[in-house]
Amino acid sequence: MLVAGAADMLYSLAGGQAQGGLDGCSRRVIVGSGYILSRRSARLLSILDIAERTQKGPRMDENAWNMGHFRKVSELVARYEIPKYTPGMPFLNVDDRLPERAFKAGVDLLVEQGVYCITTGRVVELSREEVLAAVHQSPNEVAVGEGRDARVMRQREVEGKEPLNFCPGHHSPFTEALAPLVVKNFAQIPRTDFIEGFNFTEVDGREIVGMSMEVYAARRQMAWMREGIRKAGRPGLAVVFYPITTRAAVLISTMDATSGLRRGDGILTSVLPDLKIEHDLLAAAVACEDYGCWRISGSFSMAGGFCGGADGAIVEGVAKPLTAMLAYRAYVNYTGVEHVGTVSALSIPLQPLNWARSVVDQALNRYSNIICMAWVIPTSGPGTETNLLEVAIRSIEATINGANLYAPRHSRARMNAGQTPLEAEFMVEVSDATLRAALDRGRGSELLGKLARMLEGRQPEPGMSIQECYDLVNHRPKPEYERIYLGVKERLASLGLLFP
Amino acid sequence: MAKENETREALETLRAAILQYDVEAARSAAQAVVDRGIDPMLAIREAIAGSTDILHRRFDSGECYLPHLVMAGDAMTAASQVLESAIPRESIPAKKVVVIGTVEADLHSVGKNIVAMMLRSAGFEVHDLGVDVKSSAFVTRARETGADIIALSCLMTTTRPYQREVIEELEAAGLRDRFKVIVGGGPITREWASHIGADGYGADAMEGLEVAKRLVGIGT
Repeated sequence: MLVAGAADMLYSLAGGQAQGGLDGCSRRVIVGSGYILSRRSARLLSILDIAERTQKGPRMDENAWNMGHFRKVSELVARYEIPKYTPGMPFLNVDDRLPERAFKAGVDLLVEQGVYCITTGRVVELSREEVLAAVHQSPNEVAVGEGRDARVMRQREVEGKEPLNFCPGHHSPFTEALAPLVVKNFAQIPRTDFIEGFNFTEVDGREIVGMSMEVYAARRQMAWMREGIRKAGRPGLAVVFYPITTRAAVLISTMDATSGLRRGDGILTSVLPDLKIEHDLLAAAVACEDYGCWRISGSFSMAGGFCGGADGAIVEGVAKPLTAMLAYRAYVNYTGVEHVGTVSALSIPLQPLNWARSVVDQALNRYSNIICMAWVIPTSGPGTETNLLEVAIRSIEATINGANLYAPRHSRARMNAGQTPLEAEFMVEVSDATLRAALDRGRGSELLGKLARMLEGRQPEPGMSIQECYDLVNHRPKPEYERIYLGVKERLASLGLLFP
Repeated sequence: MAKENETREALETLRAAILQYDVEAARSAAQAVVDRGIDPMLAIREAIAGSTDILHRRFDSGECYLPHLVMAGDAMTAASQVLESAIPRESIPAKKVVVIGTVEADLHSVGKNIVAMMLRSAGFEVHDLGVDVKSSAFVTRARETGADIIALSCLMTTTRPYQREVIEELEAAGLRDRFKVIVGGGPITREWASHIGADGYGADAMEGLEVAKRLVGIGT
C-alpha cells in the first residue's frame, strides 16, 4: 500500500532516525480542528511556533530571497536529477522513481532554505525533524460539513479507483443579484462535497472598498452561501470562505455559526509563490485553530517564476503544500504546476505543465498525507468547446494522478462569466468515465495526447456569461451549450472514456 | 573595415554576456568597448537595448524565467555603469523611472514581478514597492524618485478600487498630470482602465511594457 511505502521512505529521509513508525501515516480523521495526535517523539510545530519564528528568524531582503530561492531550487533539481519534459515522453509521469526524488527535493528545499515571511522580512527556519514530523502527523482525511450533509475529504492514491472528492465552483466573481441562485445551483449537484465562496465589487449598492466594507462584504458572502445551500436542501453542506481581501479582520469576521462559517466549514489561506507566508493569513489560521474551521491552501507552483522552469516548479510544487500544512495547518491543498502566464489567458498551456503536475501529485500522494485537489482552470470561458476540452484534460489527469477535483473556473474570470454548473458536472462525469475505463498512467497518457492535439492551433475563447449559456432557474444548460457539451462527450467516448 | 569588424565583435561579446546573464563578463565586455574607443552610446543602443527584445522573446516562449530577467538586468546595469562613465554626464540620457507595486490588500506578486523585470531589462529605473501597497505610498515614492510612470497591479476583483484610489490621490495632490498611470492584472480590463482614468493598460506583461515605452516616448 502506498501509505506504508511513504513511511518507509520517511524513515530513510530522517537519516535512519525513525519518526514514529508506520502508524504515522495511518488514516486519521479530524473534525474541525480536533487534531488526533499519534504516538511520536518529534514535536509537531504549532502555528504559534511558526508565528514566533517570523518575528525572530534571520532578516533577509525579499529580492535576495527570490534569487536565493532560484539558486536553491536549481541546485535541488540537479541533486535529485529532476528531468526536463521533452516531446515524445508520456503525457503523464510513468517513472515510479521520480516522485520519490521530487519529494525528497521538496523536503530539502524547506530544510535548507526555510520559508519567508513578507510581513517581517524574516526567514522561518525549519529542521528536517520538524518538517518530517508534520509530514507524518498530518491527517489524510478531513471531515467537512455537518449533519446529513457531512462529507469526508480523502487523500487518493495514484491510479486509485475510488470516486473523487469534488468542489463544483466559485473562486470567481458574481454579482449579488445572482449570488444565492448560483450557490444553489452548485449545491444542487449531488456529488458536491463543499463549495468555495466568490467575490463581487458591490454590495447593497455600495462599492466594496476599505476594510469596513470588506468585512461587511465577507459576511454577506457567507450569508449568501448559507442561503444558497439551504435553498438547495443541503443546509449542512460545507462552505469555504473565499477572501474578499486577505486582511485578518476580514478573514476572522466570517467565523459565525449562525450566518457565517460553522466549525465544519473552511477558509482559504494560501501560501504565496516562492514559499512566502504573511501575518494576516497566519492570524486567521490561529483563529481557525481555536474556532475549528479547516483550511485549504492554493499551493500550486508557477513555472516561469522564481522557481525556474517546470523542473524547478516540481520542487516548489512539493514544498508549497508542506508549507501550507506547517504554517496554516492546511491539509487540503489545490496542488500542481501552472505557468506564470496562465492567468493572462493568451494561450492554452499544456506541456510541460501537465507532466510536471503529474509528478507533483504523484509525489504528494505517495509520500505525504496532503489531500490534493486539482484546480481546473481553463483559459477559455464557459459556453465553448475549447473550455470543455481543457476541463476534460485536467479532470482525466487529476483522476489518474490521485488528485480530487476543485472548482472549474476561467483562468481570467470576468464578472458572472467564469463558470457554470455544467462544467462542474462535466468534470465529475469525465472523472467517473476515466475510472470506468480503468485508465492507468500509460493508457491515460495516450488518450490525453490525443485530446491535447485537438487543442493545437486553438486560441483561448472568452466564452459567455452564465446567464447567456445556463438556465439558473431550471438548473440546466441553454440548448446551444448543451449541444456543444454532448458533442465533446461524444468525442471523449470515441477516445475510450466510458460514459454510462 | 577592420575597425567595423572590431566594433561588431565587441558589441556582440557584450550582447552575449548579457544574454548569458553574466554580470562580470558584461562589465568586462563594456570595458573592452570603452578601451577600444567604440562609441559607448552605440553600445548602449545596440548591445544593451538590442538584447532586450531577445530576452523578452525568450521569456515569452518559456526559454528563460523570471530570475533570468533579474540576472540580465544586473548584467545590463553593470555594463551601463562602465559605458556611462565614458560619456559626458550631460550626454547621458536620463533613465525613465517607474514606481510599481500591487495595490492595497492584495498579496499577488507574480504579474507585478514580471512587469517590473521586463521594464528593468528594457532600461527603465524600477522602484518595486512590493505587494499590499497603500495608495499614498505610491504617490510618496513617485514624488521622491521623480517617477515618470506609476504601475499598479492587482489580481482580485475586490482590490481593483485601489487602482482608482491612487489616481484620486494624485488628483487631490494636484499631481495627476505629473505621472502616467498604467494598470494591469487578472480582473483588469481596458474598460476598467478607461473608467478610472488610467493612461494605459496591459493585458499581459509584454503589452504593459509596450504601453510604458509608448507613454514615455521610447522606441515604438
